[in-house]
Amino acid sequence: MILLTLLFVPLLAAGLIAFTRRREMMEVLHTLTAMAVLGAGVTTAVQVWKGEVLTAGDLFRIDALSALMVVIITFLGAFASVYAVGYIRAELDDSHLARVRLFFSLFHLFLFTMLVAVTTDNLGVMWVAIEGTTLATVFLVNLRRSRTSLEAAYKYLILSSVGIALAFIGTALVYYAGAASAGESAVNWSTLRAAAASLNRDVIRVAFVFIIIGYGTKAGLAPMHTWLPDAHSEAPAPISALMSGVLLNVGLYAMLRFKAVVDIALGPEFTAHLLVGIGLLSLLVAAAFLVRQRNYKRMLAYSSVEHIGIICLGLGFGGYWGTFGALFHVVNHALSKSLLFILSGNILLKYHSAEIDDVRGLLRAAPWTGALFVAGILALVGLPPFALFVSEFIIFRAGMESNPWAAAIGVLLLVIIFGGMLASVNRMLYGDPPAALTRGDPLRLWLAPLALNFALLIVLGLALPPPFVAALKQALQVLGV
Amino acid sequence: MSGEVLAKSVNLLSFVALGSTILLIIRTRLEGQVRAFALQSLVLAVLSALIALYSGSLELLGVAIALAAVKVVIIPRVLNRSIAKIGLSRVAAPYLGTVPALIICAFLTIVAFYVMTPIAESNPLPTADAMPLAFASVLIGFFIMVNRRRAVTQILGFLMLENGIFLLALLATYGVPFIVEMGVFLDVLVAVLIMEVFVYHIKDNFDSIDVGELGKLKE
Repeated sequence: MILLTLLFVPLLAAGLIAFTRRREMMEVLHTLTAMAVLGAGVTTAVQVWKGEVLTAGDLFRIDALSALMVVIITFLGAFASVYAVGYIRAELDDSHLARVRLFFSLFHLFLFTMLVAVTTDNLGVMWVAIEGTTLATVFLVNLRRSRTSLEAAYKYLILSSVGIALAFIGTALVYYAGAASAGESAVNWSTLRAAAASLNRDVIRVAFVFIIIGYGTKAGLAPMHTWLPDAHSEAPAPISALMSGVLLNVGLYAMLRFKAVVDIALGPEFTAHLLVGIGLLSLLVAAAFLVRQRNYKRMLAYSSVEHIGIICLGLGFGGYWGTFGALFHVVNHALSKSLLFILSGNILLKYHSAEIDDVRGLLRAAPWTGALFVAGILALVGLPPFALFVSEFIIFRAGMESNPWAAAIGVLLLVIIFGGMLASVNRMLYGDPPAALTRGDPLRLWLAPLALNFALLIVLGLALPPPFVAALKQALQVLGV
Repeated sequence: MSGEVLAKSVNLLSFVALGSTILLIIRTRLEGQVRAFALQSLVLAVLSALIALYSGSLELLGVAIALAAVKVVIIPRVLNRSIAKIGLSRVAAPYLGTVPALIICAFLTIVAFYVMTPIAESNPLPTADAMPLAFASVLIGFFIMVNRRRAVTQILGFLMLENGIFLLALLATYGVPFIVEMGVFLDVLVAVLIMEVFVYHIKDNFDSIDVGELGKLKE
């Protein structure tokens, strides 16, 4: 029942908004829906954490790993929805009502596709839903209808579609391997998981390579990341926040589901080597582009490549702590990157440029935005007391034991990224703001939800609350760690 | 129908399917390329129907009909409509000429046999022998997307790649379950409609459908 609410409400809202005339009505529908979905998401998750696996027929199955993703998606969906109202008012006036409607409608369609992806047990339907996330967001990336946003959206559509097509080969091969013993129900993850030990090893090995390339494209892992900086920097700020904070994690989630099956079939070394390799490569690419980055939205986008790389390292280092740190980092990165992208929207509204060189004297021109942006960046580069420090520490501590060389290279790259990002941000903060600029923060009141993200990042950084640890532990059990 | 007859007709039809992917490289006019895609889709629909008859699967027959509707009728119409609307530059311009492109196709086919033969050999189904052909079609579709500048040809490359994947799943396991297959058709159809909109946007903004014009976003 609650599952039905969780999936049906955003879909219904997307439809209703498409037929709403007045802007105020759209905004009200949009915000109420996002809050209702958050309520449904939390209720669902609490039920699962109490020890129940929710199912609906063969198609849907919510275990603790799904529940974690549902909470991240619905929480950040609600978080971004508030700022989205203010931001879209500032970007698109009433003469662009059709585009406003498109934005709000697709916003919820986007949430819907992500929720289907993480709640379904059917790996084929998961694939369809993840391709659906691309289709739902491509017009959002091109919302500004400029030449650059058009280019970004087209690249995003083509590269993601091709990438995910490869993931379908992987899915079909895994299904083929499972169908030998389990028949048609081998398309369900729970069936495959139960039959994992008897799967054909050669097929599974080839299949996982396709999976990691395919869903790795969606997750933004190097070298398949090339669409990401373009799409994340051209999309409107609330959508960038969701794409970086949530959508990348959905790609990662898909890889995790397959990893749980493959690790039983082949032993953990096979996926561990691949994940450590691709994680380090992502860190390397991110470091190369984060040193002397000229565009602050692209800087945040490359930082997403970095953090997804760190998560992959955690998964590759493996064991209890590596995987625990990886899931913990998923939460932390989602919280911090979403708030930073929203602040980047504020900076863009203030300076009308995404170039770092055009942003001068941010702390004087927009004191709240500037101060929060600095705090967010400090959290993102992994300074205490913020939670990313703890999760990165856990991951690299696990790495020192299982793969010290990779861990050492990873830490070195993190230090380079740390320096590069702080130098870039430093250039934005001081100096004299352009003379034509009036003082004051745009959309100051709309930033209120950010307080919640900061509070969570600090609470998780100072003390790991037992219910949170219990929730992560349950997700680890799903993964068989 | 015996397994042997099925295996022979499947091999033949898979070969025709691969051939129509290569036809996309030889054809220089966009309409001809759309026809190559429609032909390939028709071959796949017939192939699915044959396997449905052999295995007695009603669901697979449904997939064959849906495939014919979406990929033989609707998508070619959509593409022809956009070609007619764009009007100019019907001749597609590749980065690599026909002969080097065909040599690369031959190379990709060898790679496909290298990767897929071990998997196909362990597969007991009579259709499995043709799996490398399907995978070759996937790789060549991928290559077409990289090699062609025209947005429409890129879309066709994507569709061929998608067809190759469908064929691969069909040969390996008689297709994935019905609901997944339908979901995939829906995704492909929506993707093509969105791509069509982008073709118009690109045309309006750059006065050409040459995706080589899209090069502003750089570091």
